[in-house]
Amino acid sequence: MNAENDIAAASDELLTELGQALVEGSLSDTELLARTGLPAPIHILPQANVVKIGGQSFIDRGRAAVFPLIDEIVANLGRHQMILGTGAGTRARHAYSVGLDLGMPTGVLSVLGTFVSMQNARMMSYLLAKHGIPFIEPAQFAQLPLYLAERGAVIFFGMPPYIYWQQNPALGQGRIPPHRTDTGAYLVSEVLGTRSMIFVKDVEGLYTADPKKDRHARFIPSATVTELAEMDLEDVVVERAVLEFMANATVRRSIQVINGLVPGNLTRALEGEPVGTVISAD
Amino acid sequence: MIESDPDATGPAAGPAAGEPRARHETGTAAAPGPRHHVRSRLMRESLLDRQVERSTESPVFRMLPEAHVLKIGGRSILDEGRQVVYPVVAALADCLKRWKLILGTGGGVRTRHVFSIGIDLGLPTGVLAQLAAADALGNAHILGTLLAPHGVVAIPPEIFGHLLPLFLHSAPGVVFSSVPPYSLWEHPPGVGRIPPHRTDAGAFLLAECFGCKSLTLVKDVDGLYDADPKLDPSARLIPEITVAGLRRRGLATLPFEPVLLDLLANARLLDRFQLVNGRHPERIQAALAGEHVGTIVHRDP
Repeated sequence: MNAENDIAAASDELLTELGQALVEGSLSDTELLARTGLPAPIHILPQANVVKIGGQSFIDRGRAAVFPLIDEIVANLGRHQMILGTGAGTRARHAYSVGLDLGMPTGVLSVLGTFVSMQNARMMSYLLAKHGIPFIEPAQFAQLPLYLAERGAVIFFGMPPYIYWQQNPALGQGRIPPHRTDTGAYLVSEVLGTRSMIFVKDVEGLYTADPKKDRHARFIPSATVTELAEMDLEDVVVERAVLEFMANATVRRSIQVINGLVPGNLTRALEGEPVGTVISAD
Repeated sequence: MIESDPDATGPAAGPAAGEPRARHETGTAAAPGPRHHVRSRLMRESLLDRQVERSTESPVFRMLPEAHVLKIGGRSILDEGRQVVYPVVAALADCLKRWKLILGTGGGVRTRHVFSIGIDLGLPTGVLAQLAAADALGNAHILGTLLAPHGVVAIPPEIFGHLLPLFLHSAPGVVFSSVPPYSLWEHPPGVGRIPPHRTDAGAFLLAECFGCKSLTLVKDVDGLYDADPKLDPSARLIPEITVAGLRRRGLATLPFEPVLLDLLANARLLDRFQLVNGRHPERIQAALAGEHVGTIVHRDP
């Protein structure tokens, strides 16, 4: 390596031993990677809760479902910090359907899904505007701590900002973006080290099948990621990527799915009560 | 076009979920209102249902079928200074006369350094990914400066993806920071805290989404070896291999991001990438011409 351009060679003592290994070594070396796990990461916003509001399951129901939830969010301002993410819903399904028919790549479908979850975030933000709660895009996340400290809540769109860089599903598993709003909201809770991740949907939580289609579906009040993998359900209540990531997560190793149509459920979930399905890494 | 759900109420309150509609009639839930749907093939469907997911497998349109994506290594090329970089730039300038190039840059030593400091300060993977974008972007501006006489510059990440076809129609090539925009949303890695989707992954995902003609990784090794050639002089070059073959070998280290194997396995458009040695800059042009001058990793047949 050209010594003049090499931070390590120029000032050896400035680097930790790990720093030296990272500068010189291979980032595909598992032994080196294992050393990067410590010290454990800090919890950036340990008082905050990430709450994801479903698109099809909630916002698409309109006023009847959304207004009571907004009231409940407002009632919790000052008691619980909330980072509110929005799902996409039926318009995303329409965009995906049209897009797939026209041959759009998964990355373009991701862009389309982002637009829909952004519409939902904007609508929620106008309903909360008089309480001074802003809608922030990914580029504004640097201001999130200030908004939370000042107003107690922010709204963001749930889609992770992968856009054209969204990964394909496995071959044969279709072409809908695998990392959507559940995943985006979950990753916010993991990276910021929040105290909870709550998914607000229109079902009690996880069932053995889709309860909207199968009346024999049984409710599952709690499950581990491993148990879920063993059940190998054809349909699950949160994106499968959330379950995968939870197993690798350093901070956010449990989530709760609740029925937001029941008044008081969100408040109880924010208090830490199990009111839906709790899914945890082992 | 708009339909209301016949199952308007949805399952409602109560922990005993076997009979969701009956529970709703107890009135413990808010009157939820119907879900209003836009008519579409995926209307009312759970997008998490595997059968629904599988039904969406379909052919993909190629946006930029004539463009070639190259990832120019950070530590392996750009950090090495004039002696290594200028010949690579000269080779790229030649290539720009024949082909449309999308040139991604790695972050190199500065990214390794900021990772080490960030880890020491207890910052999580997503923050490390956010920080890394700056180094690769700096390198993109360096490469863009050197290619400026050819009309090739670094494009800001905020507009790069959306405007890429326009730029490429107007100029012989573009330079971008190859860091994918995962930032705080980077996936937690299975081991340690280094972000798994770095600049190789960013170049791959871009080439796949835009349906580009090829992906070439320009680094400082002749290709993939069965051991690290810098540590083991008896290491043997593997000229070509499949994803499955590479996984079977379980090599201790790889000269590219391991996540590329997953991305290639799931690719719909790209069926390979080639790793070439930029210390022999003539191999860059050869690789773009379709010659086998390094290691080709193939998607499984």
